[in-house]
Amino acid sequence: MISAAKRIFQTAWQGLKRNSWITIACITMMTVSLIIFSSILMFNHAANFLVSALKDKMDISIYFKTDIPEEDILRVRDELIGHEEISKIDYISREGALELFQERNTNNSVIQKALEELGDNPLSASLNIKARNSDDYQKIVDFINKSNFTSKLITIDLTENQMILARIGQLARGVKLGSFVLMAILTFLSVIISFNSVRMAIYSLRGEIEIMKLVGASNRFIREPFLLEGMLQGLIASCVSTLILIPLVIWLGPRIEGFATGLSINLYFWSHFGVIFLAQTVFGIILGTVASLWAVNKHLKI
Amino acid sequence: MSLLYFQNVTKNYGNSLILDNITFEIEEGEFVSIVGKSGVGKTTLLKMLIKEETPTKGRVFFHNQDIAKMSPGEISLLRRKIGMVFQDFKLLPDKNTFENVAFAMEVAGYSEREVKRDVPEVLKLVNLESKANNFPCQLSAGEKQRAVIARALIQRPEVILADEPSGNLDPINTWEIVRLLDKINQLGTAVLLSTHDKEIVNILEKRVISLEGGKLIRDEKEGKYLI
Repeated sequence: MISAAKRIFQTAWQGLKRNSWITIACITMMTVSLIIFSSILMFNHAANFLVSALKDKMDISIYFKTDIPEEDILRVRDELIGHEEISKIDYISREGALELFQERNTNNSVIQKALEELGDNPLSASLNIKARNSDDYQKIVDFINKSNFTSKLITIDLTENQMILARIGQLARGVKLGSFVLMAILTFLSVIISFNSVRMAIYSLRGEIEIMKLVGASNRFIREPFLLEGMLQGLIASCVSTLILIPLVIWLGPRIEGFATGLSINLYFWSHFGVIFLAQTVFGIILGTVASLWAVNKHLKI
Repeated sequence: MSLLYFQNVTKNYGNSLILDNITFEIEEGEFVSIVGKSGVGKTTLLKMLIKEETPTKGRVFFHNQDIAKMSPGEISLLRRKIGMVFQDFKLLPDKNTFENVAFAMEVAGYSEREVKRDVPEVLKLVNLESKANNFPCQLSAGEKQRAVIARALIQRPEVILADEPSGNLDPINTWEIVRLLDKINQLGTAVLLSTHDKEIVNILEKRVISLEGGKLIRDEKEGKYLI
């Protein structure tokens, strides 16, 4: 058993070395495909993180007319909090709103001067409503629109947040789709090149294969080294792509975190290193095996 | 029960009729020469025994088993029971004599211990023990052919098919090879020798099957080359 395995491995390794340029081309193509594959995994995580973070920030703000007394607003709050879709309601009084506004615009002298000149507080009291589920916001808005306190409101602020979220979701889907298409093309090219590599190995060993057949080698005995050759190409490509990804992640990680606070690609990569490497290796081995099987079935007449 | 049986075998290549309704049996331990001009179908006949060719009509049996109906796994096993010796040797150029012979055992799954035990013995039988480490390019034509016979013998086949084994040899080497095949036959292995060498056939005085125009025209127990 051990000598049979040794023979299979030696023949496969010889095949890789014999056509070294084709092997290099094949491994290069597979490496690129695997880098894209792993990048998709990490991009998926990043996109989910961003969308989730935005959903967390989402809320509905309903602004009341300035002449509505506080008790009425609090009554509306009490009415709304009973709804199962609503998890939390924060009341911001007119004074509270003014304080917040002044805090945000401390360095803006124009706004400060405008406020001084107005004299009176122009801001409305509001209720910030958080839903249990981000998909329920529209339901809550519809309910408010049909309620008996609509006349007390100036505006309901949701639409803009929703549009941003929808756009980000669309962008994420678009990038994912583009990556999948790119990966599919590269995968196809990898399979073609690997197929040619194994085909050349079969051709260069044709004398030996003929004699193997004549002395009674089983089909499995003949095929196995070529199948292993394809698998080895996938395995090597996986190792090379990991060696490339590591410095890439270390370099890109802090830059991405600077752009989207809390999104640590580094942390995700290292905490899921085993899974990423395994997924990549399995994908690479499958690529190589498919290509070899194709070449063997097409060109190895046994 | 016969070892080999050709039953009404006909072979066409397109519109060309190569073999026409050939029927004969070979018993265990027999030495049979198949003679005829070049292109008469001798090699095709031999190839049918290892399913390198299949008959257009008729059947070929090995121990009462129809070869055409054998599965790929059964064919592999069949080929280990049938040793092949070719005119053009078919030795692996990057393996030495020992390795070329051992190769036949490796494909059959023999252990390294068995290889190391059996190969030297077979090399001794064919007088090549001193050439074990030589590569094919370092062997004479006669030595190469003996290496091929050793490879054919190593799995203890029931029959050896020798397809014009002396085609590339001088007369002295030819006789060496024929004597070796005769010796192997005396040890119990059937031999099917395809040749157009009149001298060999006439001196051997073994069974001769003569082919002409694709037909079996003569089958004599102690035959002569009369074509």
